[in-house]
Amino acid sequence: MIYTINIVAENKPGVLYRLTGLLTRRKINIENLSAYETKKPGISQITVTADINPEVVDTVVKQMDRIVEIVNIKYHVAHR
Amino acid sequence: MKLTGAQAILQSLIEEDVNTIFGYPGGANMPLYDALYDYSNKLRHILVRHEQGATHAAEGYARVTGKPGVCFATSGPGATNLVTGIADAMMDSVPLVCVTGQVAAHLLGSDAFQETDIIGITTPITKWNYQITKAEEIPSVFAKAFMIAQHGRPGPVLIDVTKNAQFELFEYVYSKHVTIQKYIKKTPLNTESIDKAVQLINMARKPYLIVGHGVLISKAEKELQTLMEKASIPAAVTLHGLSSIPSDHPLYVGMVGMHGNLGPNVLTNQADVIVAIGMRFDDRVTGRLSHYAPHAKIVHIDIDASELQKNVQVHVAIQEDAKTALKALLPLVKKQKHEGWLSSFVVQKKTEMLAAKKRAAKHTDLPTMKDVIEALSNETKGEAIIVADVGQNQMFTARYYGYKHPNSFITSGGLGTMGFALPASIGAQIAAPKIEVYAIAGDGGIQMNIQELATVQQEKLPIKIIVMSNGYLGMVRQWQQLFFKKRYSSTPITGPDLLLVAKAYGMQAARVTKKVHLSSALKEMRNYKSSYLLEVTVEQEDNIFPMMPAGASVEEMSLEE
Repeated sequence: MIYTINIVAENKPGVLYRLTGLLTRRKINIENLSAYETKKPGISQITVTADINPEVVDTVVKQMDRIVEIVNIKYHVAHR
Repeated sequence: MKLTGAQAILQSLIEEDVNTIFGYPGGANMPLYDALYDYSNKLRHILVRHEQGATHAAEGYARVTGKPGVCFATSGPGATNLVTGIADAMMDSVPLVCVTGQVAAHLLGSDAFQETDIIGITTPITKWNYQITKAEEIPSVFAKAFMIAQHGRPGPVLIDVTKNAQFELFEYVYSKHVTIQKYIKKTPLNTESIDKAVQLINMARKPYLIVGHGVLISKAEKELQTLMEKASIPAAVTLHGLSSIPSDHPLYVGMVGMHGNLGPNVLTNQADVIVAIGMRFDDRVTGRLSHYAPHAKIVHIDIDASELQKNVQVHVAIQEDAKTALKALLPLVKKQKHEGWLSSFVVQKKTEMLAAKKRAAKHTDLPTMKDVIEALSNETKGEAIIVADVGQNQMFTARYYGYKHPNSFITSGGLGTMGFALPASIGAQIAAPKIEVYAIAGDGGIQMNIQELATVQQEKLPIKIIVMSNGYLGMVRQWQQLFFKKRYSSTPITGPDLLLVAKAYGMQAARVTKKVHLSSALKEMRNYKSSYLLEVTVEQEDNIFPMMPAGASVEEMSLEE
């Protein structure tokens, strides 16, 4: 299933590395990814789209939410 | 106050109540070690013999004190040598703060001498890591690191400090109060889930508690016992939950998992309500998931949201630390008696003991690992801190020592790191200088990190080391015997004469080869005031039973070969 994960994070080095590492660990390939600083200084918006097994998506997102810099994270089935 | 970066690091550690550092100097952290020279009255530095030893010693220290263990290492190989210990701490939720030296900032990325991307390497195995390239970053980064290592589910953090940052002078001000956006929002206790859990517990006819490391981390042992006693609920522990309940407590039933006790595993599948506290339903605990606890409504309490609904789908998930959750449950839980249910654990225990007796009858006059650990338990009356290595020795130590006090059993559970026991016992002994500390290992594991014998001696630590030698990598051999047609591929192992090795390090040592001499040898070791190595030649092809073969369910515990 293709999911989109929307992430609000502190704009710090290494956050993207931690996020994508959690996907790599489960051999999940990223289909689309964007990251930019929002109008609020120091805060980034990251959007990841990837094919993730529905059985593990919730755990993967919760594991991402352990990343200290992540302020908010949500996911939904991608609109195609 | 103007300080160099190196001085600022040490000052920050003192602010964080650190008094012990495990480490090893090298080129990229020389300014730090130079500064340490002036801090020797406030900071005790333990020079290990390999950086991996520093991480395990720091883990042992953290497990006993509850405070983060601190490690220093240089860049490149010093830093990469920390990796196994950091991964170990990550798996077992042990707070560590590792400080690595790094090449000067202007050389980063140039493949400079002893440069390695330790931030990249440790990202998947740390809660957080950060590279400091300017001295002025030091106070806030250290404050943040200590907060993160201890907050919620503890774990390791790593701070990489470039050499120039260690030299730079700056105006030092320390504030413990750092803001981490994520930690500000604290979700209030979910009373609805607590109510649901209480309802299940109060209606249960066969309630069952499975207790993990989280109870020890949150210091909830008293609350746990009150709950057990009030509602008369039998409680089992995971490997890391061991020592959270005194093993002679009438409601304590033993250990779950692959090499756990019979009753705790088999009866998981008869329980109607399971309350799992501060544990993570590891595959070594659950066995085949499709056949795990089919009749039970499960309440899972864990501080880490990502552990809830991860392996086992539970009915009530409570994201909270064990102590807070138990405190909320306690007043609402009704007094109960579950005599019939409790007696089924007694029946299983008898079956297990009978099988053990039958197995013992087959043995020669060589001691078994069970004999050794039982004798040690009797001799020390369960009052010692036991640090087990990995493998058969670990499982026998888990099963047959009568633990009495919280955090008196320390081992590498999640990562299963051979060579853990000796260095970890160093940290444990430094943390608890007045308590007897025993490192238990096999003849395989002792040869990994054996260099730390020198650390024990240099620091004059009275650690007692028991090596149970069977000439095999015992756990792998057991599996080869049971599941690989006894093809003992690369498991027979020789080693040095450990008595001579001990002697070379200036350590007292003895060897036991007969069961009848075990007790007197242990007494002699205990009475010896300094470090001591006791090698016990044990039964060569003994196995740890009962066991749950890989892929089997908790009900399919085998009692013998």
